[in-house]
Amino acid sequence: MRNVFIVLMPALLLGGAAAHAHAFLDHANPRVGSTVRTAPREVTLWFSQKLEPSFSSAQVHDAAGARVDQGARVSGMQIHLSVRSLPPGAYKVRWRVLSVDTHTTEGSFSFRVGQ
Amino acid sequence: MFTRTLCAALAGLALAPLEAAAHCFVGARFLPATLTIDDPCVADELSLPTVARFNTGDDPSARQLDISAEYSKRITDTFGVSIGRTWTHLSQPAGMPDVSGFQNWETTFKHQFLTDAAHEFVMSASLVVEWGATGAPEVGAERFSTLTPTLYFGKGFGDLPESAGWLRAFAVTGQVGYSIPTSSSTVTIDPDSGLLNFEFHPQFWVYGGSLQFSFPYLKSNVIDLGLPDFVNRLIPIVEAQFRTPAANNDGNPSITTGTINPGVIFAGDTFQVGLEAIIPINRASGTGVGAIVQLHLYLDDIFPTTIGRPLFGNAPAPTKLFGG
Repeated sequence: MRNVFIVLMPALLLGGAAAHAHAFLDHANPRVGSTVRTAPREVTLWFSQKLEPSFSSAQVHDAAGARVDQGARVSGMQIHLSVRSLPPGAYKVRWRVLSVDTHTTEGSFSFRVGQ
Repeated sequence: MFTRTLCAALAGLALAPLEAAAHCFVGARFLPATLTIDDPCVADELSLPTVARFNTGDDPSARQLDISAEYSKRITDTFGVSIGRTWTHLSQPAGMPDVSGFQNWETTFKHQFLTDAAHEFVMSASLVVEWGATGAPEVGAERFSTLTPTLYFGKGFGDLPESAGWLRAFAVTGQVGYSIPTSSSTVTIDPDSGLLNFEFHPQFWVYGGSLQFSFPYLKSNVIDLGLPDFVNRLIPIVEAQFRTPAANNDGNPSITTGTINPGVIFAGDTFQVGLEAIIPINRASGTGVGAIVQLHLYLDDIFPTTIGRPLFGNAPAPTKLFGG
């Protein structure tokens, strides 16, 4: 068992360093799957790795599929999306990013404004 | 072998693609490397070590310890080769000596021919070759080779309606293969009677699957429950593997053997650790509950600009999103 631990340790250290890996969505505001009472003025996504700004972006759509954001701004490990005044309803955020080590990841999540 | 592989990898860097998806990502879905069956993607990965301990299906049972390693290398974005080997120690029943040795070398040539990101669906096909007479007969390594054409799939349920909620974090993978020995039988002469003994080498259906629940997917795509980071990296999983004789089975018991393996995988940034119980489905599959643990390294993340890339590739440069 001790031998297994010795073998595992270098990998755990590698994982701890984690300077280059896929960029995962760490968290978002509004939070993934949440319902917020007050309409946000901005949607912010935090990722686990630094992003390549030219090839990373996101969009916000309403329940009818219409785009409601006013463009994305990528900065370091974050994407900021300014949004118009959002009426109560469901919204979907789609993102696709390229981390600085050239790995692409993508995903989407929803949040609700109102009840 | 490794030096040659490394040289080839370095030589191929100039041709490597600019953009990489790497280990098993299908759209928003990450399918981890499974411990018992193979995952449906090609990748640059190293499983070192995989340690399994269980009781064999022999009567009486022997206690078996397997320590194995597998290195997987992408030749192109969709074609990869894996090389693996297992060292086995058999603790025999009373009165019989313990034996140790290597199993035969195994090589897998895999083509990932379908990747549907929107539906989190992936399929691949492979030829698994066990090279005969490259291991120790004392631990069961056969003198003949075995060819196993195999089909794999993976499917995430993230494309279910939003109303499905947590169900969207589930995924399944599976594989079906047909194992064909290159020799149909072995003939030996009984030293006492002088009679010929025929030992037939059956062909088998080999198949299995996994059901997995992804906390990483739940957090990023369904609902962020504010759970600790450690929990958000867990993928509880149940794997199953089976083997059913299909042909040339004369003189052998025609019974399906297999195991059900519940466990959990922790997915780090550059590695994963998996731990599963091994539960035999019947007496012929073993006795008691065994265990398997694996450390799996994502070489594409650890060495993204060197040996973690495909040797050859013509993938297009990254495209801007949504046309923007």
